[in-house]
Formats: sequence, structure tokens, C-alpha cells
Amino acid sequence: MMATFFGKESVKVVTDFAYIPVTAAFVILSIIIFLRFKKTGNHGKAWLLFLGTAISWFIAETTWTVYELVYHLDPFPSAADVFYIAGYPFLFLFSLFYLKPFKKLISRKMILCASIISISVLIPNLYMTVNNNSDESEFAIALGATYPIADAIILAPALIGIFLFFRGEVNFLWTLLLIGILFQVIGDTGFQYFTLDNSYYTGHPIDILFIWSYILFSFGVYSHIQIFKKSDKISEHNKLV
Amino acid sequence: MNINQEQLRKAIVSLAVEKALVTIGRPVYEKTIKQLSKDYNCYLPECYEHPEYLNKVLKKIFGNAHVTIIDAIKKELDEQIKDKPIAVFVTAISE
Repeated sequence: MMATFFGKESVKVVTDFAYIPVTAAFVILSIIIFLRFKKTGNHGKAWLLFLGTAISWFIAETTWTVYELVYHLDPFPSAADVFYIAGYPFLFLFSLFYLKPFKKLISRKMILCASIISISVLIPNLYMTVNNNSDESEFAIALGATYPIADAIILAPALIGIFLFFRGEVNFLWTLLLIGILFQVIGDTGFQYFTLDNSYYTGHPIDILFIWSYILFSFGVYSHIQIFKKSDKISEHNKLV
Repeated sequence: MNINQEQLRKAIVSLAVEKALVTIGRPVYEKTIKQLSKDYNCYLPECYEHPEYLNKVLKKIFGNAHVTIIDAIKKELDEQIKDKPIAVFVTAISE
């Protein structure tokens, strides 16, 4: 926010560099929780997939920064998009593996409600994409529209997770994931709007939502690290059994 | 003889709980043990006598979804359900 007083160039540099430590922290926390579960059970596999998301988005943010600050090229569309998009299937599969042990509780009605909510968040983006007079390439417009679609796909299991784990300690992760995904939905829809409008630049206020989504995801993972951290009580118990 | 049978049932119940929780993830099993000890000063084999402790701990961790874990434990105990004390445990854990 402070950087905005020093012009667009400053805000671009500050924003580009802000993304790297934020996503690096996200990767480190994901590695910690993955090492805690070590592929044991469904949640072990889930956290391995979550780590895939964190690594993909870290590479994407680093690639964006390199394109913009090193090569002075427009980073959208670019190779960074491959890694941004790659993060979504990992996150979707994470949700599936995490929710798998609780699938008996997931009713068709629940899936239908979550799907309706997810599809409804797509409406503003689809409207903008169809009714645009932008001089952006068709590829860039289609790519920009892909993000809110991917957000909507990952939103559905997050909504189911909130319902399933209601009042449980693990629900904090799902609440933060849901808010983070909603920030991404608004951020990606805004990104598409301002890109079509030719008014987007790195450091645009809409970027705050993306940074916050990474922070929220990281705090969600941190809460899980705290819940499932190792304890001396376990070794004491193992001696007794 | 009776004492031995009770110990055997405790072991069977402990193994069923362990198996159901490790299917989700070993840290989930460890967290459950830790929470049982913290909240009720109870070790896993003692849950045979206090199934309500296990129910409450699972609910505290997983909220609404704890019922599926209870179902998984019951499924693990399916073969022993003819044994009345095990059947009592299965009924009590669901309440």
C-alpha cells in the first residue's frame, strides 16, 4: 500500500518481490505438514498433493517476477500461467483425498448445493468474457476466463469441507481455504475485468486479494501443523501398550 | 480368565480404533491419543470402558464428520459384534 505513493514502477517491484517470500512460506509450511503425515493414509496423500499446489504457485510467482523484472516482458500470458493452472488440479485432488474418509456423509444434495454456489460465482466472469470489446488476444481472454472456472471447481469441495467439519478443530483450515478461494475468485474476476479494460498493472489493488489468499492458505496449514504436532504423550502411550 | 478376556477385548477395541484412524493418517491417531490423555487422562485401551471419551475427542477434532470415523471403528469390530461386551461398546460409542 505504501509503495503506491511512489508510482506504478515502485509498486510493481514491491509487489513482485512480496509474492516470493509469501509463497515460499506457503511451500515451507506445506513441506512441514507433508513430512508430519509422510504419505500415511488418505491425509498423507492429500498433503503431498497440497505441496504440489504450493510448489506450482511458488514457481508461477517467481516466473512472473522474472518475466517482469528481469526480461521486462508482459507476464500475462506467459509460462507462469502453466504453473498457476497446474496448482488447481493438485488442490482439487487434495480436497478429494482429504474428504475421502468422510465420503459417507457427503450427500447428493450437498454436492448439488456446493455446485450451484460454485457456478453462481462464475456468472460475472462469463458475462465479462462474452461481452468484451477488448483488443487483447482471444488466447489471453480465454486464459483469463480459465482462472475463475478453476476457482469455482476448487470452491465446491471447500464448501463441502466446511459443512463436514463444522465445530471441529480441523474446520479452521477449511474456513481459511474457503475464504482464500473466495479471494482468488474475486481477484481473478477483477484481473480479467482490468485486463480487458487495459488498466491492470502488477501492484494493482486487486493483487492484495491474491497475496491474502496465500497468507490465509498458509495460516490454514499452520493450524494443521499445530493440531497434529508430535507429542511426548505418544511415546509414553506406546510404552504402555 | 475373565480378566484376560477383558484385556483381550480392550486390545481388540484399541486395534480397531488404531486401524480406523491410521487409514486417515498416523498423526490423526496420535492426535486422538494425545487429546484423550489431555482431556480425560485416559489411554486408548481404557476407551473400551469409556467410549464416550473417544466419541467426544473425535467430535472435537473432526466436528460433524466424526460419525464416519465411529462407523469405521464399528466396521472394524463387525466380526466381534456377537460378543456382548463389544456390542455394548459399539452401541455406547455411537451415542
